[in-house]
Amino acid sequence: MRRVVFLVIALAALVAATAAYAHHSYAATYNVAEQITLEGKLVQFVYRNPHSFVHVQAPDQSGAMQRWAVEWGGTAQLANDGVNRDTLKVGDEVVILGRPSRVTGEYRALMVRLTRPSDGFTWGGRGQVVD
Amino acid sequence: MKQQYLPAGLALAMLAGVLVSAQGPARPANPPDIAGEWRLDNSEDDTTAQPPLGDYTGVPFNAAGLLRSDTTAESIWGTPEFQCRPHSAPHQWRGLGGARILKEQDPLTRDIRAYHFQFMRSLDRPVFMDGRPHPPAWAPHTWTGFSTGEWIGNTLAITTTHLKDGFLKRGGPQTSDLYAMTEFLTRHDDTLTIVTVIDDPIYLDEPYIHSTTYTYDPLASVNHEVCSSSAFAENGGTDRHHVPHFLPGQNTARAEWLKDENWFPPEAALGGVKTIYPEYRTTLNGAARVDALRVPSTRGSVVADKAVAAMSPRDGQVHVLPVQGNVYMLVADGTNIAVSVGPEGLLLVNTGSAQMADKVLTAINQLANATVTPPTTNTCFGANCPVAWGFSSPYINAIISSPAPPKPVRYIVSTSAAPEHVGGNEKIAGAGFFPRTQAFGAAVTSVGRNAAIVAHENVLNRMAAGDRPAPVTAQPTDTYFDAFFKLPAFFNGEAVIVYHAPAAHSDGDSLVYFRRSEVIAAGHLMSTVSYPVIDVAAGGTINGVIAGINQILDLAVSEYRSQGGTWIVPGRGRLMDTADAASYRNMVTIVRDRVRDLKRRGMTLEQVKAARPTADFDGRYGPADAFVEAVYRTLS
Repeated sequence: MRRVVFLVIALAALVAATAAYAHHSYAATYNVAEQITLEGKLVQFVYRNPHSFVHVQAPDQSGAMQRWAVEWGGTAQLANDGVNRDTLKVGDEVVILGRPSRVTGEYRALMVRLTRPSDGFTWGGRGQVVD
Repeated sequence: MKQQYLPAGLALAMLAGVLVSAQGPARPANPPDIAGEWRLDNSEDDTTAQPPLGDYTGVPFNAAGLLRSDTTAESIWGTPEFQCRPHSAPHQWRGLGGARILKEQDPLTRDIRAYHFQFMRSLDRPVFMDGRPHPPAWAPHTWTGFSTGEWIGNTLAITTTHLKDGFLKRGGPQTSDLYAMTEFLTRHDDTLTIVTVIDDPIYLDEPYIHSTTYTYDPLASVNHEVCSSSAFAENGGTDRHHVPHFLPGQNTARAEWLKDENWFPPEAALGGVKTIYPEYRTTLNGAARVDALRVPSTRGSVVADKAVAAMSPRDGQVHVLPVQGNVYMLVADGTNIAVSVGPEGLLLVNTGSAQMADKVLTAINQLANATVTPPTTNTCFGANCPVAWGFSSPYINAIISSPAPPKPVRYIVSTSAAPEHVGGNEKIAGAGFFPRTQAFGAAVTSVGRNAAIVAHENVLNRMAAGDRPAPVTAQPTDTYFDAFFKLPAFFNGEAVIVYHAPAAHSDGDSLVYFRRSEVIAAGHLMSTVSYPVIDVAAGGTINGVIAGINQILDLAVSEYRSQGGTWIVPGRGRLMDTADAASYRNMVTIVRDRVRDLKRRGMTLEQVKAARPTADFDGRYGPADAFVEAVYRTLS
């Protein structure tokens, strides 16, 4: 079942760690003390600089389907992590753990972990943080 | 070093004093060589990272600056127009990736004509050393601004104007587009110190100063970040026109970091000129009250009212700014006119006020003479030169003949019925020529062969109605009622398309797109010197204005890094590009959302005005009462 889980977790240490290289500030854009889980179908993978984006069709808190934009690393970082433009396909069912936007009503998140249950592909954790 | 605690005036005075007394002559015979590769030295406080969101410590904010910054969402970077914008100029030296300084030399004298600065996320930034003046106030603003430099002793002093609005620090305090920046670059052996003074009359009570240090590193190389922006908003959802922002009081970021740093006095985090002086400490232990505290003050050099007025001078003159391709912008006593000039004649978007019509005619005739049939020297010798015509020797023709006059005004497009847009219609159309025949009927016969006047049909309805209709020869001759009107054929080698913006300033607004020149004339939809003018009685609405600006943004494309590309001629004020138009759209949308929020809470119009929903923009755009009232009345 697709669902969104809002959890509040204190992650202050990540604030400084994720703020060094982005052209905009992650800590200012996203609420890094919270996280959401998006379960849905990938509808677009934008593999580009300065940051890549995964678009997922997934429900919001009220259960209404939305097009979520999940911000990921730039091409250099993802390539180093073994992710290329063919890694993800439109239609893939994915589970994404992310930091939500600070602005109410925005359907965006900062990638923390992406999992594709069909083959177990996972990005995130093990020191993999969007920079 | 804690530069932000150094009073601005004191710092400037000290710096100037040291430079003048120690260095003697204004320009040394051999100024130090600052060219080369430089590596950012991270030893200064908050050099590259940003302070916590909501921490304005050391920023001499006024109330408008505080509100503007508190309500700005970093998520604004996700809008299509801002995805690839470079760092704002005050932060550029502090962005990661190093700096490269190049010298541009005169090949004969070897004088330095300009320095060029490059950063990882920047466009090339020239600093002109050849004494050229800064552009007029109606010229466009860029991310790097327009910089001129001079050596004062061993320090290069750089003055920069024409900057876009942005931020003082990454992820935090905002600037207006009126700020000026002065930088002092001093090389000590392999160390380069950059002292930056930001003078923003809209959001700062006195200039903000910070310093940055670089180390010479010939083995370093400036990274170059290639940026690919997208037509979709990175903010999620499907609304590409989404404008993220916080309503006043909605941003809780300050409480977040102060919770962790509970030793920090919360009121000091708000910034303000008093907090940057040592005397402020006396207020922290209760020995003095902040409101009773007296501190020295350094006024900035930029005066907001003058800077805004200079963009659209009411001086009874016509100023000409070349824009792009066929198109020029005329600044005619406070009103802008866009003119297409070419071999087929002239097309004017609006004609200005009636009082200025003679001067506008003179200006466009001079422009046409200078651009369409400019005097040139012979480029071909002999009787068989190509493109020559006539039986006498072509080079003789070129020397002794008088070139044919340029073609007259063929078209006028009236973007609305506002007097400042149609005031010159009668005189300028009368001086023009459109090849009609009697077969077109009585309506056309009455205007003879005057230039065609194109407008939405509601403009004609308004100009022809009432007890005192406009003269027939001032009224539109070619109206449209649809979403757009295409000129039936190319004019001056390009398509010209007139788009309707429904229920915007009025019910008859148009914007005009020159498709090859890549210029859009926005009429009353845009102004860099005022809030939008909404004529509610004539069918104008706030949502129509926002939709019209978004229509412009959908048509416009930036050249690179959210700059240049399609140029936008506003009804009043300086020339704009997509980023400027986006900033204006953002401001209008933010005010709309604030008024809507207050109205939904049951406030009357007077209560909403008293709440000052435009408080952080009034210094930039002037009186807001009429605008707020129009917003309030046209929101459901």
